[in-house]
Amino acid sequence: MISNTFENVKKIYKKHAKIINIVLIILLLIIPRLMPNSYLMGIVCRILMYATLAGSLNIINGYSGQFNIGHAGFFLIGAYTEAILATTYGWSFWPAMIIAGIVTSIVGFLVSLPTLRLRGIYLAIVTLGFSEIIRIIALNWTDVTGGPMGIKGIPSPELFGFRISGPVDYYYIFLIVGILFLFITNRILKSRVGRSWISIREDELAAKSLGVEANRAKSANFMYGAFWAGIVGATYAPYYKFIASDMFTLDEGFNILAMVIIGGQGTLIGPFVGASIATLISEVFRFASQYRMVIYAILIIVMMWWRPQGLVGAYDSILAGDDKSLKKRKKSITQKVGDN
Amino acid sequence: MRKYLSIIMTVVLLTALLAGCSNAPDSGGSGDSDVYKFAVFAPITGNYAEYGKGFEVATQMAADEINAEGGIDGKEIVLEVFDTKGDPKESADISRRVTENDEYLAVIGDFSSSNAMANAPILGEAGIVQLSPTASHTDYAGMNEYMFSIMGRQDGEAPFFSTYLLQKYAGAEDVGVIYINNDWGKSAYDNFMLQTEKDGLNVVSEENYVEGEKDFTSLLTKVRDSNPDTLALIMHANDVALIANQVNQLGWDVNLTALGPGTSMQIIELAGENVERLLLSTPFFITEENEEAWAWSEEFKSRAGFEPTVHPAVAYDTVYLLKAAIENIEGDVTRDAVREELQNLDGFVGLTGPIKFNESGDITRKYLIMEIEDGKFIQKTEFDYVD
Repeated sequence: MISNTFENVKKIYKKHAKIINIVLIILLLIIPRLMPNSYLMGIVCRILMYATLAGSLNIINGYSGQFNIGHAGFFLIGAYTEAILATTYGWSFWPAMIIAGIVTSIVGFLVSLPTLRLRGIYLAIVTLGFSEIIRIIALNWTDVTGGPMGIKGIPSPELFGFRISGPVDYYYIFLIVGILFLFITNRILKSRVGRSWISIREDELAAKSLGVEANRAKSANFMYGAFWAGIVGATYAPYYKFIASDMFTLDEGFNILAMVIIGGQGTLIGPFVGASIATLISEVFRFASQYRMVIYAILIIVMMWWRPQGLVGAYDSILAGDDKSLKKRKKSITQKVGDN
Repeated sequence: MRKYLSIIMTVVLLTALLAGCSNAPDSGGSGDSDVYKFAVFAPITGNYAEYGKGFEVATQMAADEINAEGGIDGKEIVLEVFDTKGDPKESADISRRVTENDEYLAVIGDFSSSNAMANAPILGEAGIVQLSPTASHTDYAGMNEYMFSIMGRQDGEAPFFSTYLLQKYAGAEDVGVIYINNDWGKSAYDNFMLQTEKDGLNVVSEENYVEGEKDFTSLLTKVRDSNPDTLALIMHANDVALIANQVNQLGWDVNLTALGPGTSMQIIELAGENVERLLLSTPFFITEENEEAWAWSEEFKSRAGFEPTVHPAVAYDTVYLLKAAIENIEGDVTRDAVREELQNLDGFVGLTGPIKFNESGDITRKYLIMEIEDGKFIQKTEFDYVD
């Protein structure tokens, strides 16, 4: 039943893709005007922020099949870079955001170097260690990061003289970052680079034998995922105006990972769904007080049992990349190795 | 099976969403209602859950007592507890929710400095008081005029510790310092070091550790090499107990002093004989002789199921502080009037001692010197020990 519905929705979407996209974008643009309630907009902002953040993790985990659980570390570097540039050096938000992305991307490259030979759980442990090391550096490098005091008074971004502050306005920054992320990532996934990532995920040896430079592709993958985590971190810092190292613990990393898995790895839309669900559930069950996180956990378990590949996780999803060629590939793989 | 499950799941999610809608704050004003409503921000779940529980119980206790005696000018106090999970992102969202609803007169909380500081710009812009019992970050209360904290500034306790406890009382000469590296520990340490320089106290070694550390042996060996006669431990109760035990295992004979844990029973329960003769400073102390405070502690124990520390005690005081401020208001009771009267409040004495805010919105407390003898805290000095 469900798969039929998905098929039908997909068909309708394909038919009127342009109109639906335009309507969606207009709707997204006027949401803050329809709903000028800053509490609700705050939640929408949190969803959008986590959606892009989970999306950037999905680049690494979902598309090239590496297993990164230290994403909070990249997030931290982006946030701190922006915060330091903005407070200590008085940079404007926009260039600081780009620099934050680039710095994070360079760190992503450095992390990828020793991990090129590692897969699965071994890689996971390295990224876990990396995340903690970064957090402890931020905690102890007092001169630069404020140490345990964190950084406060991060200035709000300005655009043409307008100060963008508060969730109703800030929504647009998160929205634009999210849309840019989806658009650029979609293009990249359909390019040679993106296809090489997917081929590594499916079978690294086979990909190598077909001339894919696996190491270079994996490094690029880490850098690209880290770049967007850095961008999101940079938008996060001036939104909350205060950051401290205890906001970027391993728990945060697991939280992001949970969103990717709930939504569905290897699809562009999955992390968005995952972020919405994870955020909404914890907000909606607020009345349950201390049982809130128990309900959250039970729902995740049920969901994983019901759809282990994630809610919208399937390689044939609309936004999973070049779906036709993928479907074909999946079919041929299934024929060769049998369905697993 | 799958079909049914999927239907159930959809129904659950939809009801959840609808429930969320109905919970959405109504923006209609209700300033004339016959209750005073305060929002309590506390980490009911997450890493700080034990403190959140203490907050919830202590503030409710205060509200119940006040309501039993007729409330504030005949109006009852209603507390609404919000779980912030110790996560600044959640608490910022909740802050927005509170600012959009005129019902709430003031916010009590949040527990951690990170949360309180993430809330500060939002609540300050909306003009609603955030009265934190425990946020100890030195910059927090100064963030805007609506922010208050009653934990006590570290430029009060740390100098007291150096001048009076270590030198005047204990007569220490060479001191080794170990502190926890978080916002509280760092600012206590900085203030402590400033004072030792002024006093000319000889600090032979200074070490810090990250929260969650369990094995201090290598750290202690390092400090031992510098040969101090007294150790100054700037940290919470659990860590003091761990260090006391490990000092004993090393067979090291050194005087122990602690800044931070207050008179937490945990120290004695966890370290027993190893903390005999430990000296510490505390802003308040509950003895059986002080009947009122003793009754409070017993009542808290029966409600919460664990011994009170300093955290619930200060949380308890916040409710009475707000009551005192509201009683002083002459005209309409508004959020701004609450802030005004809280700032000007004079002569308030709570469970944890006298409270009077300075200009930035926090307080400097006075301290007692305590010593552990035969597994009990013994008060050694009065508040007038400072000359």
